[in-house]
Order: sequence, then structure tokens, then C-alpha cells
Amino acid sequence: MSKLRLTLENSLNDLKDGDGRISLATQAALLVFLITLTLTSASIQKFLATNLDQMLGADMVLETHAPLTIAEEGSLRSLVDGVSRTRLSGITLTHGDVWARVQLKSVDDRYPLEGTLGIGENPAAPEHAASRGPAAGEIWLDARLATKLQARVGETLTLHEAPLVVSAILLHEPDRLMEGHSVALRAMVHEDSLSHTMPVGGKDRTRYLVSGTPEELAELEAWAGEALPAARIIKKYGGRHPLATFWQRTENFLGLASVILFFLGAVALDMTNRRWLAKMRYRLAIYSSLGTPLCTGIAMALGGWFMMFVIAVLVAIIAAAIAHVAIIAELQTVFPGAQVSWDMAAMLKTVGLLLVLLLALQLPSILQLSRASLLALIRHVGEGRYVWLRLLCGLLPVSILAAVYSDNWLLTGMTLAAIGVALILMMVLTWGAVRLGDVWGRRRAGLLPFAFFMMRQRLFTKSAQVMGLGLCGLLLLFTLMLMRDLGTMMEGYARTHDGNLIVSEAQESHVEALHVWARENGAKVLALRPFIYAKLISVNGKRLNDYMQKPSDTLATLQEPIRLTWTDRLPANNRLAGGTFWQPGTDDWHQISVEPEVMTDMGFSYSDTLTYQIGEQRHDFTLVASHAFQAGGGSITFWFQMPMSARAHIEAPSRFMGSMELPEAAWDKLALLWQQHPTLELAPLRELTERFDETLAIVTKVTSGYAGMILLLALFVLAASVSGFRADDRQKNGLLMSMGLKDGDCLWLNFHDWVVTALISAVGAIAGTWAAGLMIYEGQFGMTYRPDLLWVAGTIVLMVAIVCLVGYLACRQSLKASVRDLLGG
Amino acid sequence: MKTAIELESISHEFAAHGESIRLFDNLSLTIRTGHSLAIVGPSGAGKSSLLSIAAGLEAPTGGSVRFFLKGTAVDARTLRAHSGFIFQHFHLMPELDAIGNLALPLRLKGDRRAFDVAADWLEKMGLKDRARHWPHQLSGGEQQRIAVARAFISSPDFIFADEPTGNLDARTSEGVTSLMFDCAKETGCGLVIVTHSRRLAAFADNRLHLEAGRLEVAA
Repeated sequence: MSKLRLTLENSLNDLKDGDGRISLATQAALLVFLITLTLTSASIQKFLATNLDQMLGADMVLETHAPLTIAEEGSLRSLVDGVSRTRLSGITLTHGDVWARVQLKSVDDRYPLEGTLGIGENPAAPEHAASRGPAAGEIWLDARLATKLQARVGETLTLHEAPLVVSAILLHEPDRLMEGHSVALRAMVHEDSLSHTMPVGGKDRTRYLVSGTPEELAELEAWAGEALPAARIIKKYGGRHPLATFWQRTENFLGLASVILFFLGAVALDMTNRRWLAKMRYRLAIYSSLGTPLCTGIAMALGGWFMMFVIAVLVAIIAAAIAHVAIIAELQTVFPGAQVSWDMAAMLKTVGLLLVLLLALQLPSILQLSRASLLALIRHVGEGRYVWLRLLCGLLPVSILAAVYSDNWLLTGMTLAAIGVALILMMVLTWGAVRLGDVWGRRRAGLLPFAFFMMRQRLFTKSAQVMGLGLCGLLLLFTLMLMRDLGTMMEGYARTHDGNLIVSEAQESHVEALHVWARENGAKVLALRPFIYAKLISVNGKRLNDYMQKPSDTLATLQEPIRLTWTDRLPANNRLAGGTFWQPGTDDWHQISVEPEVMTDMGFSYSDTLTYQIGEQRHDFTLVASHAFQAGGGSITFWFQMPMSARAHIEAPSRFMGSMELPEAAWDKLALLWQQHPTLELAPLRELTERFDETLAIVTKVTSGYAGMILLLALFVLAASVSGFRADDRQKNGLLMSMGLKDGDCLWLNFHDWVVTALISAVGAIAGTWAAGLMIYEGQFGMTYRPDLLWVAGTIVLMVAIVCLVGYLACRQSLKASVRDLLGG
Repeated sequence: MKTAIELESISHEFAAHGESIRLFDNLSLTIRTGHSLAIVGPSGAGKSSLLSIAAGLEAPTGGSVRFFLKGTAVDARTLRAHSGFIFQHFHLMPELDAIGNLALPLRLKGDRRAFDVAADWLEKMGLKDRARHWPHQLSGGEQQRIAVARAFISSPDFIFADEPTGNLDARTSEGVTSLMFDCAKETGCGLVIVTHSRRLAAFADNRLHLEAGRLEVAA
């Protein structure tokens, strides 16, 4: 008991010095971030699970991209009694001169099977329930759409020449959750209202809402697995639903961010660990002189460290709880009705994970403690060199954290590679500069040669200091640079994009109309590339969901039909990234080329067989090449490309995407084009930039919070660096002053030391940022990395100035003590 | 029942810059409880190394060392659990006050009365009013008196002192020396002191002189 109390007292005593406080603050900051992330994620997952029960509108939903054939639908209806068919199409609705892109849902008489619809007389009116959808000839608009179109109940809209009366404002759909996080404007009509001649869009979806007994549903699921491999099945119980995977991906991205934060935290902790270790070695040696076995001393030291961790956990839980409540309140705009929930098991798991990772960081110190000796109190015994072990133990937890959280291995790998490049460079530069400086200074007098001599004597500790500061600089710079450049890219999108109107999808019948309209209105069609919709259903014979279970952006996209284009030559805006591209006019049409990022995320290899459902047929393609986007030659590129000769063998309607340049006067005439062709998907850049701004606002909020955390941890690293090396500097200054050097000389000497440290760190940080920029910008964000040399030079000067200033202030503070005190450390 | 440390024909050397430096050769010595022993000699003669070997902190490069506690042969680790140390630089814990430093050995051994016993010792040493002072607020002599008391407070069988008065002036040294030998007599432990000071060595029951690798009885 007294040992436990002593351990607790030691922990509290350790908190009285700077190192203890920095270490506690760093651990608490990491815990706050991860616990907040865990709690928020658990609350959202719970909200989604609860909402799935209430909002699916059926026991099961079967979704296909083309309506089932009469025979297939007959089989379906024979298996269960309750079936309702809905269809979703992307169209443009117009009202007078106003237009809007809309997700139009057509429903039958049985819709919805479960739950009720919520409708009102106007967007602000109280909601009342409706058990059936709109009647034929009527249309219901959602509140935002009604506002945008300036349409009121009782007014008439025209859709493909058919008049539709707005009979209600749609406020709630029981199967709304199927749309995931989509914020598209919505409208609902009866299926009989739609003209059968209206063209079907490639992204249209048909949904069969089903209710039945568990046995009937199981039978239906088995049948659909066999007969409809491209269909998606969402069950009320036990099924993954779209929002859950979306949120998990967001969480994984934030997890990757936590890898960088953890790295910074590790650097700060490693620096404070040096002093912690020295203190523990001394404490253990004294305990040993009092007859306490070393293993008891180590257990007490670890116990003390653990108590510090527990204090950090308590502090962090309070802070995380406050942050959690605030974030959920903010997220209620995206997830209406989300409630704060406290998932203790998930939180304990996160705390446990961090404990294991921090223990791994502590491993070299524990090993060094086992060499603590009473002999050291009698005479100086040299310490072992543990630099490599420390480095390994720093990298190991980061890799584990990356493995647990990573959503995008390519991005994670690139980030770690950039860090590796920076570390190696800083190590080489430190050793090279210090050793060369020492050789240069041997036959010279003055403070600089002496500074090099002192640095040479403390080469290992100097390397640790330089690497710590450099890494901190790298992570800070990269985050800030990426934020700045992403913002600039989004702002400047209109300037760099080809044209000012994107043709996001046109059908064959639209192409001629587009050209005619362009000629009549002085617009120019800049590019139109053909494609067909194809749904990847299996890889090497394995169903997609069985082949890849780790969620990623790529997999999420591949769950939907993708755009498959054909070409004889590598397009001008592509370069060959690997494999062999087919020769023009090849007869072997079962070949496909894929973008490298897709290959990496999905784990594809050359010669893999990719099976696609295209229209009613399935087609196998052999993966032969990989193509990457390169700037110039237009901005439209495709993930998948096949030989030109393949098109003749595939039965599916061709579609086109491209861009147009519209003069100012032509914008008002767009409504006419859409009235004639409601399924033509055009995205004016003005609207696109609006969407970007909305996204940017959310991204800015997230990145600002994240940058705040990075800055906080960078501050800890700087404080730890100064605090961790203060004792060495005090002793050095004391020694120099005892030899007759003045305060000013000591300051000047320290200044040299800090300049060299800061310069090497800054060069390392810039080089690392450069490497990260070159690798990540192009590959992950489709941006060309063009570092601004003035910005780079300014950053170096600023970093060196800050580090030197902090070092100078710390040195001046330490010189206020007497020579005797300085020598005493 | 024998409680003793037996060094038999021990030799010791260390390597520096690829060169082997021999400190002493073929030394034999027995240290018993109830006796005090002073080892004197010039700097670099190997006094501290001899003390470390006797205390079981390091093994000699030649010869053998045996430890006995109440007639039973024990290993170096067990001996250390029954030993105390006094250092030239005091080595008090900077984060503990005077009474906290003094109570430390008893607390580590799980004694609930640690602070009461420590308070008694402080009173005995005339440092009662310094109980709540931190090491840096105490003079060198006061620090060393606390360190001496700390070594004796848990009644060890042996005390090893490395230049215990090396950092003190003559007058303070005398006080610390008396305290050390009085405590040794009172507790009946074996006291081994390494020192340059002939005045300090004169207090010991036995004195040995180590020079040029030879250990001889000093006058």
C-alpha cells in the first residue's frame, strides 16, 4: 500500500515539472481527439441503426438499375405478397424560366408498404400523414424544390409534355434513408403519370419494396443472389446500409488524420521521455541503494507512468464529452434527429488502443531503465545508444494506428513515405553538417567552431532534436499547404476547367439537339466522350462484396454502375502508368485499362478478370494496362477504358459526357433545352462552384479543427524540445561561464546551436513537404504540385526565426541562475 | 551465525581506448558486521571499484566474492536488499522534502510507520525544524546528515560509504563522521568507507591502504 501511495505521490510530483506537464498535455490532446471521434462515430452509427428500423419503408428493398423483366418480376411477386415498385430518375424540372435538377421518384399504388408519407400545403405548413403517394397527374415537390422553382400547390408543371398538378409539398418519405447522404432536390409522381416514351437515364434505379415473413425474405434473397447478381439488397435487420458505410469512410479519413497527429504526439513524448528516463534512472538507482530490487523500481516507474495516463484519460473524457455534445449538435443538420449517446465499450477500446500504442513508445525507455545502476551514482557509466530502437518504436505504433484506421492505403503509404524521406534527409544532414563543421572548426578559434564541437559531442541527442522539430515542421507545413491549395483549387476551378457548362450525361438522342442548340445560341461544344454504364459484379469469379470487404471511396463508387469508355489510343490527357495498352484496331476486345488509384485501393493485378453487367449481359475483361490522368488535353477522364472494337459486341445505349462554353446570353435559353430534354444532365459551373462552396464550408470546418489540433501538438513539440534539452544547456552554460565567458557569449553560442538545428529541421521539413506534395497532390487530388519558391523561402525563414527565438528566450531565462546552480543542472 | 562479505584473491581491470588497465590483483578481504573498515589511497587506485565489488554492484574480473547473511550464503541481489549507501554527492531525491527522503527506505519496504520513525530520526539529528525543507534549501552538511540517517533508518547489515565527507568542510565533516560511526555502533552493522581523509579513516576499527594494486594495513 505504501509503495502504491509513493508511486502516486511520485506521479503528482512529476507533474510539477515542465516535462511532466507537456507529456500529460500531449497524451490528453491525443485522447481527446480519438475519444471524441469514437463517441461521435458511435452516436451516428446508433442513429443510423435506429433510423433503418423506422425509415426503410419495408422489410427489405431490392434495388436494380434497370427494371426487372416481366418474368423476373413475376418470380419476385410469386415469392412474397407485399411488393411495391418505385423508380428514381435524374431529370430537370422547369417552372417558367426557373429550372432545377431533381431526383424524381415514381411510385405505384401500394407505396409505401410500411410507415407513412408526410405532406403539407406549403413548405412551412404543419405535416400530416398520407398512406399513399400522389395520384396520376399529380406531382409532389419537396420543400426546397418548391422554393427553388417558386411553385405552389395548385400550379401546373410540364414534364415531357405532360402537365402535372402540384398537389402537395413532400415533407417525409419512409424510405428516405435509401438515398444516403444525398442532398438532391426531390419530387414524387405516380408511375402512370410518366410517359412511356420518356428515355431512361443510365443512373436510374428501380426499387422493389418488399414485406413478408422471415422465411419468405430468406427465399427471396437466395433467389435474387442467383437470378439478379447486379441487384443490391438492403434488409431492415442485419444489412449494411449506405449511410453507415459513408460515415465509416469519413471516420476512417479522420483516423488517418489521427495517424499524423499521433506522430506529432510521439515526437513530443519522445522528447520529454529523455528527461523522464534520466529522472527514473536516478530514482531507481537511489531506490537500489536503499535495498529495493530493480524490478520493483521499474514496476513503480511504470505504475507512475500509468497513473499519469489515467489522469490524462480523466481530463480527456471530460473535454471529449463536451466536444462530443457540441459536434452532435452541429451534425444534426446533416443527420436530423441524431442524439448524443455514450458508447462506453467503444470508448474503452479506443483508450485501450492508445494505451498499447503509448506503451510501445515507452518500450525503449523501459529497456534502458532495466540498465539503471547504483554504480552510476558512484561513478559515471556510459548510456547505451537507443536511437534506432526509439525510431523503430515510434514507427511501429504509427503503422499499427494506420492499419487500424486507414481507409486509403495509397494515401497512408505516401504520407509515411514522405515522412521517411524527410527523416533520412535530416539524419544525413545533421550528421554531415555537424561532422563537417567540427572538422572545419578544429583549427579555428571562435564560438561557431566551438558550437560545432559541442554539437559533435552530443550528436545523438542533437539528431533526435532535429528530427523531432523537422517532423513537426513537415506535418504542420503539409497540412497548412494542402488546406491552402485545396481552397485555391476549388476557388479557381472555374478558371482552369474546360468550358463553363459540364455535360454530365447526354443520351444519343440528345447529341444532335445539343449541337443544334449550341449553334443557335452561339455556344461551343468543346468535348463529348462516349461511354456506357457498366456495373462491376465480380473479380476473378468472386462477387465484388466477397472480393473486397474493406470500405473505401473506390469500393463505394464501384457498388454503383460506372462509366466505361472505349478508345483505340491512349487519350491525350492520360499517360501509361503500367502494363501494355492495346494496339489500335485490335480484335481482342476483352481488354481493359484501369486507373492506378483504383488498382491499388481494390488490390487489382494485371491479368485479373473483371466481370461487368452491361444491360442484360455480362462481359469479362482482362486487366492489361493502367492509365493515369495528366494535365493538358481536357479534364474528362475515365476510371475504366476498353478497346474501340469492344463497343460493337456490347448491347447498351451509348451516353456522352463533355463540356461546353456558353456565352452569357445563352444561359437564359437553357430552360428551353431542358423542357424538351428533361433527362439531359447539364451542370453549369456556377452551380458546380456553389456545390463546391457548400462542400468547402464543411471541409474548412473539419480542417480548421484539425489544423488547430496540429498547431497545439506542434506547440507541445517545441516546448518539449526546449524543456527536454534545457538541463544539458544549463550545464553547458554553467561550465562556460565558470571559464570566464560572459552571458552574451553563452547566448551567442546557443544561438549558433539553435540556428544549425532549426536550419536542418526546416530543410528537412521542406524536403518532406515537397516529397509529399509530389506524391500526394497528383495521385490523390488530381492537382499539379507547383511549390511557390518565395513561400518556401519565407517558411524556412519563419521556422528558423521561431525556433531560434524560443531557444534564445529559454537560454536567457536559464542564464539568470548563478554559475553554481547552472553547473548543478 | 556469520554475516560477512568474503573477497578471495580478487583482481580487477577495465578497458579504455583499447588498452587494459589493471587496478589490483590477488586481493583478499573479509568484511563483518559490527566492525568498521576504512579504505584509503590515492585517486585512481581503485578504491571505488573495490567498494562496488564488495557491495555486489559489479563482479571482479578474477577471484571470487561470497556473501553470507546469518550463516546462509546469498547472492549479490539479496545482499543489496540488506545494505545501505552513503554518497559523496548526497543524492537526496530533489522532489521529496527532508522527512520524505528519510522515510523513503521504510516506505519502500512497506512500513506504515515510516513517517513517525523518520520524525524520530530527524529529532535525534537536531533537524526537526527542517522536516519540510527541500534538499536545495538545506546546507551540504544537513543534506549529508539526512543521507546518513536515510542509509541507517532501515537497519541494514552493511553500509557502504563513498567519500562521504568529500563535499564538506572540516567542521561539518566531523559532525557527519561522528553521526555515521555512532549509528554504525548503535545498529551493529558493518561499515565500509572509501576516503582520502586520514581524519575520517582514523575513526574506523580497521584501515587499509590501496595503492599500485596492493592492499596493506594502514597505520
